[in-house]
Amino acid sequence: MGTATLDGKAIALDDAYRHAAKILTGAAFPLIAGLGADVAGARAAILLAERLKGAFDHLASRETLADIDVKRSFGMFTTTANEARIRSDCVVLVGPGLTQAWPGMLERLALDEPPRRGAQAQHPRKVIWLEPEGDEASAVPGAKVITASVQELSGVLAAWRARFGGRPVALDAEKVSLIDGLVETLRSARFGVFVWSASSLDPLAIEMLQGLVTELNATTRFTGVHIGARSGASGVTQAAGWMTGFPPRTGFGRGYPEHDPWRFEASRLVDSGEADAALWISAFDGETPAWSRADIPLITLAPAQAAPSRGLFIEVGRPGVTHDAVLMSQETGGMTLRRASAPTDAPSVALAIGAIMAEVSEGAWR
Amino acid sequence: MALTVLRGGHIVDPATGQDAIGDVWFEDGRIVERPEGRSADEEIDVSGHIVMAGAIDIHSHIAGGNVNTARLLLPELHRAIRARLADTPLSTAKWSSYETGRLYAQMGFTTVVEPAMAPHHALQTHLEFNDAPIIDKGALTVLGNDDFLLGMLRDGETDGAINDYVAQTVENTRSLGLKCINPGGVEAFKENMRAFGLDDVVPFYGLTSRQIFQALQKATQAVGIAHPLHLHMNNLGLAGNIDTALATIDAAQGLPLHLAHVQFYAYGKEGKNGFSSAGALFAEKINANNNVSVDVGQVMFSDTVTISSDVLKQFNSLPGAIPKKGAIFDGDANGGGIVPYVYKISNYYNAIQWAAGLELFLLIENPEQVFFTTDHPNGGPFTTYPELFALLMSADLRAQYLSRLPADVLEHTTLPSISREYTLYEIAQMSRSGAAKLFGFEDRGRLGAGAVADIAVYKPGRDVAGMFRRASYVFKDGNLVVRDGQVSHYTRGKTLHIRPRYDRQITKRLDSYYDDLYGLPRSIFDVPDAALPHKDAFAEVPCRI
Repeated sequence: MGTATLDGKAIALDDAYRHAAKILTGAAFPLIAGLGADVAGARAAILLAERLKGAFDHLASRETLADIDVKRSFGMFTTTANEARIRSDCVVLVGPGLTQAWPGMLERLALDEPPRRGAQAQHPRKVIWLEPEGDEASAVPGAKVITASVQELSGVLAAWRARFGGRPVALDAEKVSLIDGLVETLRSARFGVFVWSASSLDPLAIEMLQGLVTELNATTRFTGVHIGARSGASGVTQAAGWMTGFPPRTGFGRGYPEHDPWRFEASRLVDSGEADAALWISAFDGETPAWSRADIPLITLAPAQAAPSRGLFIEVGRPGVTHDAVLMSQETGGMTLRRASAPTDAPSVALAIGAIMAEVSEGAWR
Repeated sequence: MALTVLRGGHIVDPATGQDAIGDVWFEDGRIVERPEGRSADEEIDVSGHIVMAGAIDIHSHIAGGNVNTARLLLPELHRAIRARLADTPLSTAKWSSYETGRLYAQMGFTTVVEPAMAPHHALQTHLEFNDAPIIDKGALTVLGNDDFLLGMLRDGETDGAINDYVAQTVENTRSLGLKCINPGGVEAFKENMRAFGLDDVVPFYGLTSRQIFQALQKATQAVGIAHPLHLHMNNLGLAGNIDTALATIDAAQGLPLHLAHVQFYAYGKEGKNGFSSAGALFAEKINANNNVSVDVGQVMFSDTVTISSDVLKQFNSLPGAIPKKGAIFDGDANGGGIVPYVYKISNYYNAIQWAAGLELFLLIENPEQVFFTTDHPNGGPFTTYPELFALLMSADLRAQYLSRLPADVLEHTTLPSISREYTLYEIAQMSRSGAAKLFGFEDRGRLGAGAVADIAVYKPGRDVAGMFRRASYVFKDGNLVVRDGQVSHYTRGKTLHIRPRYDRQITKRLDSYYDDLYGLPRSIFDVPDAALPHKDAFAEVPCRI
């Protein structure tokens, strides 16, 4: 059994669910945010948001939407980590902190081993690492390291792209020659892969990267592996996609989904007062909301350690740790069931929201 | 559940040969004979209505990672416009899995097959199925560009080993059978080949497309999968690809073979545009080869998106994307390509495509050999089926369309000369009895006693499309789910799957293959019951042997 508190004082779980339903149904425009949950939790949360005619957002939407914005305005080439591992002969890692965003990355991509399939099988991989953080790149002997500030990354990629297209760039001769060498490496690759994480790249850099990939594909094969954002973002985005047609930052005020990355951004909704109650879900690590207002009626679903002193708190388990959970797997690029590694009887997000939903009849909002 | 009778409708049920006024009785979710000495608990007067079994869509891309990528790629294609009715959450969220279930049900469709489930992404397909209410679902598992199979073929392994692999993969991904998409061509694209025909050789495997699909065709038969190998051929969409299609049929060894969305292969090179309909030639070939079934992949003039695991073809389509964007995913085997497109009646090529599809429908003689898909959403969305039925049933309506096509189109299609009009009986053969036979469904697509009580009741009128778009009544497993064209509440459909037999030794071999190549436990790709929100998600369909 999980626990629940109201302003820091213990209350019975049944009372907590009832109270949560009362807060949410009493609101004119409730917000379901954080959404740090497994697929079942996201599914329950989105159905609740729909029933309440509220909105939903994920705590890492900025990153997720950076990738999606490039995809839906320009397009995108992607592959799986598996294909990168077994086939890529040239890997370009872009931006700092990739090994933090995906701690298993180096092992999974096996960059220090040769590819197993394709034209360059058994030949050493070429690895280019653009602006690694600290000594991240030292784990890959022979990686060519290029430094630049995060702000410069889109400019650096633009310069590569320009030189690939045979266009002049306003850089000194030494740099141009360095870039030309790099571009030649890319051009001669047979199955190249860019790896990036939107946690350190802005949409412009991602679009520049994808633009270069597109142009490389005119003569050879190139693609990309993007590292998903934290707190189950990729799985939540997929569930939102098939359930509503849209990623998070979607509202149901008119009784049907509308997606607007500005209008339904959680912090803006709370700070502007447009949302008048919030259900905050952060089951992985208890990350707290980024909004600044403290006067909004707040329900928090998080692990026990993250119990806030204010508002209603309902303890939930950690997906894939305390209970089985379907999550998007970075290593396969697909959904998988993660079995609980340390099972407890704390409720899952889906279970907790199910209990709240049971208190919210269709009649309550119609 | 109450004993119910639908009284006095015109029953059109090719599986039992009925085409006459009669009653349909059902109880506890199944059709029953009229019970002796009992009266109905509920009686519904359907006089003046057509009564058919629930329709079966054999090829419609309704779920999975590629479909979801298309949703996220094209927010502008599916803005919602109206609020839902009570008790139908997300039913007006356009292109959502929920809306898909609702719209199919409203048209009297009760079973839909998603024809492209990648083995490594099976769980997502099943999760999406779970959220498509009312209808029963099933999927076909994609093989033919996977290293394990190609490696076995290259190494000359026994048929037995290949059969075991095929059967294990179908069982493990919980599907209804096998699909093969540009066999070898997608692997070849990863090695930078930009075109791939029937006898081109896959780099590093020394295999042709012909060899790959023939091996899968044989394995499908050997392990007793009722549905023939479902083949997406090479050279989709290219002028002159009728040659590929005819050669593929000749390569079918007389074994059962289903050819997907054949309209996209019915192209000659005649005329000043070098693009003409070869629909008549293609239909003639189908008529002479009764081991081959086809679905059409009809083009309907609309804004849509092409979703295909033929990554090579989709990459080549990118320059023609409308709007100009797309997603290309080099997956572990097939992957996918998502390219938006607009079919315009004023566009010569699109009009030829439209005409070629109708020629195939109208010139293939056996309605149980040709199925009415639009390859949703590739030729147009499934919501255009009612218009398509109307076109098949009316030469006048086709003439109206023809008068709007670019004039030179008429010189390169035989469509204007075809007067055939489908009867309701033939429509039911195509969408019910024939579709059920094609998948070995013995208890659906029919209104005989013992069948699932999936029933569609239509009110005929001058507006044939309207009749098919809004069924008067639809019963799913005996539950009334649609009344006057509107879904009143959700029921939960099942996911249909088969479990072919095989020697379990293959699982050990596969486990070590995954461990060695990917360094991953193979179970990471499983579809365990515990991963799905509801316990009773699946229903098994028997195999042929």
